[in-house]
Amino acid sequence: MSEIELQNLSKSFGDIDAVTDVSLSVRDGELLCLLGPSGCGKSTTMRMISGLETPSSGTVYIGEADVTDQPAYDRDTSMVFQNWALFPYKTVLENVAFGLKMRGMGKQQRRDRASEMLERVHMDGYESHSPTDLSGGQKQRVALARSLAVDPDVLLLDEPLSNLDKRLREEMEIELKDIHEEFQKTFVHVTHNQDEAFTLADRIGIMNEGRLVQVGEPNEVYRDPKNKFVEEFLGDTNFVSGTVSDIDGQYGYLMTEFDSEIRVPVASETQPETSLTVSLRPEFMQIAPITDSSNRASHQTRADGNGGGGVSGTVESTIYRGSSIRHVVDIGGEQLFVEQGVTDQTAIDEGDTVELRWDVDDILVFRPDGTRVRD
Amino acid sequence: MPRNVERLGTAAFRIGYIAIFVVMLLPLGIVVATSFSASGNLQFPPQALSVQWYSAFFADVVWLRAFDNSLVAGIGTTVVATFMGITAAFGLEAHRGRFGSILTPIVILPLLIPPVILGVTLLVYFSRLGLRSSYLSIILAHSLWATPLVFFVMQSVFQRFDWQLRDAGMDLGANPIRVFVHVILPNVKSGILVSALLAFIISLQEFVMALFLSNYQTQTIPVLAWNSLRQSLTPIVSVVSTFLILVSVVGLLVAALATNIEFVAKRLS
Repeated sequence: MSEIELQNLSKSFGDIDAVTDVSLSVRDGELLCLLGPSGCGKSTTMRMISGLETPSSGTVYIGEADVTDQPAYDRDTSMVFQNWALFPYKTVLENVAFGLKMRGMGKQQRRDRASEMLERVHMDGYESHSPTDLSGGQKQRVALARSLAVDPDVLLLDEPLSNLDKRLREEMEIELKDIHEEFQKTFVHVTHNQDEAFTLADRIGIMNEGRLVQVGEPNEVYRDPKNKFVEEFLGDTNFVSGTVSDIDGQYGYLMTEFDSEIRVPVASETQPETSLTVSLRPEFMQIAPITDSSNRASHQTRADGNGGGGVSGTVESTIYRGSSIRHVVDIGGEQLFVEQGVTDQTAIDEGDTVELRWDVDDILVFRPDGTRVRD
Repeated sequence: MPRNVERLGTAAFRIGYIAIFVVMLLPLGIVVATSFSASGNLQFPPQALSVQWYSAFFADVVWLRAFDNSLVAGIGTTVVATFMGITAAFGLEAHRGRFGSILTPIVILPLLIPPVILGVTLLVYFSRLGLRSSYLSIILAHSLWATPLVFFVMQSVFQRFDWQLRDAGMDLGANPIRVFVHVILPNVKSGILVSALLAFIISLQEFVMALFLSNYQTQTIPVLAWNSLRQSLTPIVSVVSTFLILVSVVGLLVAALATNIEFVAKRLS
């Protein structure tokens, strides 16, 4: 069994707290992505799982065993490094066989096993090459083969795809997923790339400033972010701040920066005059041109009775982004952006007056300290 | 016109540069030339050529013993200084700690003290320890100079080392000793060779401390050369000097070759 259990893990380097009180369970055979910006402590957390760092406090369990004080070379984990860390003075085959040699496996046996692993990652034929001759994608494959060769309980991947170009990265994502399914091992994958995490992960753990903010399945963390940081980090969105002017049951009216009120869902304890920030995600807003001249009251909010909401404004700029078009709409001096699929035939140009509409219940509401407002 | 001036300037610089170089290296040529002199006195240019002083050298037990003594001191210094310099540099680079910032000035200290003072002080000190005139005293004294140089060479070598490779080795099951042997050593071996040669050559040419710390039985080549020069100016000293120059040049060539092989290998990859 190779589930991982981290209990109240902390690590400081001098005065710097790299990781603070992280508790996390990784299930056996799961692919968990630790996602967060640079310096959020995700790599340090992974290095503590591997044994390359010793925690300042807290406990690491792998399987049933407390491995907190076990050095890296005694642990049944294997890591794929960001720069792959292939041994430059050894051939590709020697690199892959290195872990087996350290485990005392006989020469012929470890060469066979290493060849088999190289074949699995489609690097057969490169056995006698020097790693310095290989391209980034090839090094990546060799590093993966080297880690898989020792048959670890846990495979740790420290941003191994971040040095690859987009196309190659996407290819490797698929391949990693295949390998995960084939080898049935527990994978912990560290990345700062949201797309990578969403593609690969069974569950995502989001870290910020040394703390684990939220853990959950990809759709869960995306749909139901725990705080403003997660909402901001997982995708592009519009944040609009304002003050609650009136409460109407489950909804409140927020006097916004663009000088108009919008209706937002609030919690029962929400009082008038409190400051809130709402997230208006581009994917739940529809954009439509306003042609009816009687409706041209600029930056007016509207709220129909069925939980719909919206504002109107002027299209300031239009950016083609391949599969979608991003419109930046000026509403009383503030900008909101919204996306339109390229197949959407509605022609919208810069300078047009448009209306943005949404379902009020889609709006996520945050307090000034970043926590979610919800019932 | 300015182009010609520039060319002229470059040529003048080169000529000046070469002139300085020649003036500095000329004594070496004179030493080698006088060693082939047929006369009994040190003279330049030699009137007639012969290898009789070479025969004299190989027939002289005292010189041969001095040669052995230098070899023992040199090898001993190489072992002690290389071991200490490498481990210090490794420790400093591998585990950057608070101690590191004060280590470098301490290591450099022996290089800043005049060898005469070091020699006298060590003479008193080693006499107390009963090591007077022993090989060990000479080796330790020379290591005092060679260790800092090995340390600085190895420090720059370890600075260029990718420490992630060490992590990868540990992660794949190699304990710290095996990591050093299998992962770190192959990456730094030419640096080790260079610093070992450096330590050997420093010991070979060191005179002042050896003068204080050796006796008739343990005197090294520079000490014996000095003693015999005080009596008579025979070309046998030139023969010995020629050998020392030869050893240093060969050492340098080996070092250059070792670093160049690495350089060439990097270029090819």
